[in-house]
Amino acid sequence: MKKALSMALLLVLAATTLAGYGVAPANGDAALRGTVKTGGSTSVERVMTALIYQFQGENQNVSVNYEMNGSGDGIKNTISGLYEIGHSSRELKTDGSENGLTATRYAIDGIALVVNKANAVNELTAEQVRGIYTGKIKNWSEVGGANALITVVTREASSGTRSAFAEIVGLEKANSPETAIVPNATTCDSTGAIQTTVSQNANAIGYMSFSDADNAKIKILGYNGVVCSEAALKDGSYTLKREFCLVTKTGAELSPAAKAFMEFVLGSDGQKIIAGNKLLPIE
Amino acid sequence: MENSIVRAGKSKAPVETVMNVIFLICGLAAVVSVVLISLYMVFSGAPAIAKIGPLKFLAGQIWNPEASEFGILPLILASVMATGLAVAIAVPAALCVAVFLTHVADKRTAAALLFLIELLAGIPSVVYGLLGAILIVPLVFKAQTALGLPMSGSLLSAAIVLVIMILPTIISVSAAAINAVPKQYNEVSLALGSSKMQSIVHAIIPAAKSGIVSGVVLGVGRAIGETMAVMMVAGNAPIMPELLKPARLLTVGISMEWAYSSGLHREALYGVGLVLFAFIMVINVLLSSILKKGGAKR
Repeated sequence: MKKALSMALLLVLAATTLAGYGVAPANGDAALRGTVKTGGSTSVERVMTALIYQFQGENQNVSVNYEMNGSGDGIKNTISGLYEIGHSSRELKTDGSENGLTATRYAIDGIALVVNKANAVNELTAEQVRGIYTGKIKNWSEVGGANALITVVTREASSGTRSAFAEIVGLEKANSPETAIVPNATTCDSTGAIQTTVSQNANAIGYMSFSDADNAKIKILGYNGVVCSEAALKDGSYTLKREFCLVTKTGAELSPAAKAFMEFVLGSDGQKIIAGNKLLPIE
Repeated sequence: MENSIVRAGKSKAPVETVMNVIFLICGLAAVVSVVLISLYMVFSGAPAIAKIGPLKFLAGQIWNPEASEFGILPLILASVMATGLAVAIAVPAALCVAVFLTHVADKRTAAALLFLIELLAGIPSVVYGLLGAILIVPLVFKAQTALGLPMSGSLLSAAIVLVIMILPTIISVSAAAINAVPKQYNEVSLALGSSKMQSIVHAIIPAAKSGIVSGVVLGVGRAIGETMAVMMVAGNAPIMPELLKPARLLTVGISMEWAYSSGLHREALYGVGLVLFAFIMVINVLLSSILKKGGAKR
């Protein structure tokens, strides 16, 4: 009796398992299967998670891994072959250390200058931003604000946002007080921490990904007379921006699943998701 | 009767052996972990220190990984100052609370208070960080504005948060130590004509010294190893520490830059870890030797 019962259970189990294989995904390619190993930038987390979720929904036999460990590791691990696709929120270095790679742009992200909501200043020029971050401008009254000392807030060394911001504004990495970010700047280790710090300090200024900046918590400043918006990113008038890239080995044959994922990100469905995340799609 | 005990002993012999082995394995696991962690820290941290140069690494005043400057003196001093300040404030306060709990308050009040204090010890550090960021940092802002400094997270805020975090540990260990002092000490002291407070200060606290010191050791350990709460209030700039300016502690130095670091930068962070590890070892050995001396005197 017991034996018969367990036999029957086994059969049911086998049948359901097999049936599972027979069911085709709603749309997409059922023949496409495998795992795509990717990893890198944490700045692209929100949009990339959305893209992967959608892609995996359409291709149920493919899973896309995404390790969040920063652009540097993403690029390094793509060179070593650990990742098929690396995520980068900065351009590839041209000093030879990152040769043999191709960066495919898929979105443009604005870097928003943010201050506390109580701040009277509405916009800054590149010159003023450089002055504030190098410590030459110390008081908000020097740039048209109240008489209060400026608290400079920055990201930690080697963050993608920090290096993009420093490069565009014209701040250098070397240790010269003329051109480097002031060493006593309050340092935050994430976009969220920047937003929280600036929202709690009436005299603070920081910079963060435009796609994550929340108008309810902080005030976004204009840069060189242009307010950051999707339109200003599109027509190129807002220059404080950086690109999100998928990094692959030049000339290497991608697996069909990885290839499909890249086509999805660059295709109209993927670009729609990108636009929905306050980023500018590449068209 | 005698027979049954012998028989029982015989039948239990294998069980005894098996349990012995199990306990031995557990004991060894703890020892092996400590040894492995020590080796790992040395092997992963030492190469970077050698590459940078021990003197440049430990005594360098500039931490700027983007320009390959890896001086961690500001981080070391910030950790030492924040911990020292926190302990200097917390120990006297904790001692007073412990005396209150054991000799001044009535039993029910003491039990209720002790329960609350132990609850305080169980609160996750990120909650202390949040409270510090909302309550303490804005207070320090006022002091900074008055003194003509920009408003920011600071070493002082970090130290205050650490005080609150290590108080419960020191209080509960000290209270237990004071409670363990034999009643006769107090009675003899009172019989010799000293007042209640004289007897507490001159007879009971000295007798409980070694227990109190072990509470302080635990407090120092918690303070120097704390990361999350400190990162939320300290401002985290790697400059030579000053009370009202932002400061980056050793723990924060590692966790803050870990995600994006690579190459020599990451190795240097292992080096920071090794320094932190050495710090905690030295503090443990030093304080426990003081503790043993205190015990021998008694």
